Amino acid sequence: MMKKSKKQISYNTSQERRAKLDKYFKAISLISFFVIWELFGVINDKYSWIDAKFLPMPTDIVESLYNFILDGTLQTHLFISVERVLSGYVIGVIVSIILGALIASFKIVDNIISPILNLFGPIPVMAFLPIFILWFGIGENSKVILIAYATVIYMVSYVTEGIKNTDSLLIRSALSLGATPMQVFTQVKFKAAFPNIFLGMKGALGTAFGAMVVAEMLGASTGLGYIIVFSKNWFKMSDMMMAAILIGLLYTIMFGILSVIEKNLFKWKSKTNGDAIES
Amino acid sequence: MGIHINHIYKAYEEKDGEMQYILKDFCMDINDRHFICVLGKSGCGKSTLLNLLAGYLKPDKGDIYVEYDKIYGPSADRGVVFQQHALFPWRTVSENVQFGLNIKKNKNAKEIAQRYIDLVGLNGYEDKYPSELSGGMAQRVGIARALANNPRVILMDEPLGALDALTRDNMRREIERIWQATKKMIVFITHSVPEAVYLADRVIVLQEGQIAVDQLINLPRPRDINNPMFQDYVKQFEAAITGADADSVITE
Repeated sequence: MMKKSKKQISYNTSQERRAKLDKYFKAISLISFFVIWELFGVINDKYSWIDAKFLPMPTDIVESLYNFILDGTLQTHLFISVERVLSGYVIGVIVSIILGALIASFKIVDNIISPILNLFGPIPVMAFLPIFILWFGIGENSKVILIAYATVIYMVSYVTEGIKNTDSLLIRSALSLGATPMQVFTQVKFKAAFPNIFLGMKGALGTAFGAMVVAEMLGASTGLGYIIVFSKNWFKMSDMMMAAILIGLLYTIMFGILSVIEKNLFKWKSKTNGDAIES
Repeated sequence: MGIHINHIYKAYEEKDGEMQYILKDFCMDINDRHFICVLGKSGCGKSTLLNLLAGYLKPDKGDIYVEYDKIYGPSADRGVVFQQHALFPWRTVSENVQFGLNIKKNKNAKEIAQRYIDLVGLNGYEDKYPSELSGGMAQRVGIARALANNPRVILMDEPLGALDALTRDNMRREIERIWQATKKMIVFITHSVPEAVYLADRVIVLQEGQIAVDQLINLPRPRDINNPMFQDYVKQFEAAITGADADSVITE
């Protein structure tokens, strides 16, 4: 038994070492990408293969960022984008959970809602923006609603499937321990579905960001998406790229936060047999 | 007192306009504090019987009473231990055992759970998750969870079926010990004949939905597998399970 657990430990540490090495490798790759890009820009300046106007160097982008921060506009744009995407996303997640729970619990709701969701599901979310603008005005409402809609369309099936696929043995054991149907739902089905719901939440973050950028590119005067369109009109390539990179960075941060929450919520999932061996 | 099964019928399908009854006009009485083992081949109706007792299935005709109360569906009266441990994976060992007590809003849930965790010999594992346990340990938690709820009867659906031979041997002794400590009425489904003879006060052999053998086991506990009387019981039940067609000796 001792031998076995020791083996497990050494296996874990060697795996950790490998993971650390992989991390360095990835970091070096990322840094090299920017270095090569910069070098290409420097050489290009000399030989003019491509018009330098259309290929800003990383240092140009950093300069853009510095200027935006200096005159205070970046904070405004960044803040409004975060506000839009967060409010739309949170509304979307809440609606998805409620709607998904109703669809999974009541056949009649399933029969009413599912065909409609299936009808709208395949239509790219962006196609609805002009309609939403006419319905809800050019202000914040149409943007937040588009982001929420994008979240719901992506996420709701994860909630429904998660709840429907609850192991029937768990439902049976809860009933035999005295749980009411409502308690079976809150204590068993919802908790069993939670990992799947979280999977949907993570995926929906991507569609929510897509909707945000489109909404800001069409009919907005603020936000990171707006910077892209505005800079395009003035041929400010480095501003465009800065905005694009910031969008990516923002998404990565939010996704990272979700991943940390997930890791903490589902501790019970990642654990394996470890040293628990039948004595 | 005990369980009273009153002329029940259960069919899953119809064939040529006739119901294919798994259980037909089935009657049985079980005494309080008895350990009953139900033996039989696959498809003999033993799992159907247990599911009816648990309330997961409803009889087509007839009723079942537990201490004069008719069964309408699953309830905390009848604890169930499954072949797969069926623990809630997001709850720790202690939280799993507390599930039924929390539902009843019992204020001493934690202490009661601890008592049963100690009883099944899992002291020190309270905060582990089911995924960290071995099969035998998880099964013990399942038993503790059913016991902590203080049901009138515990139904066990081949609880040792998914375990390896060695663990199975250990768990058989454990179940006997736990039963002696709590003196609960237990209905235990199995297709291992020696397991039934080792554990039961009374063995029922089912064949095509009918009681083929109904035998009290008069052997002192703990029972010795090598005792000739033990072996006689085993032979008797094996013959009953195999039935007339002695060619199909495959009893799993």
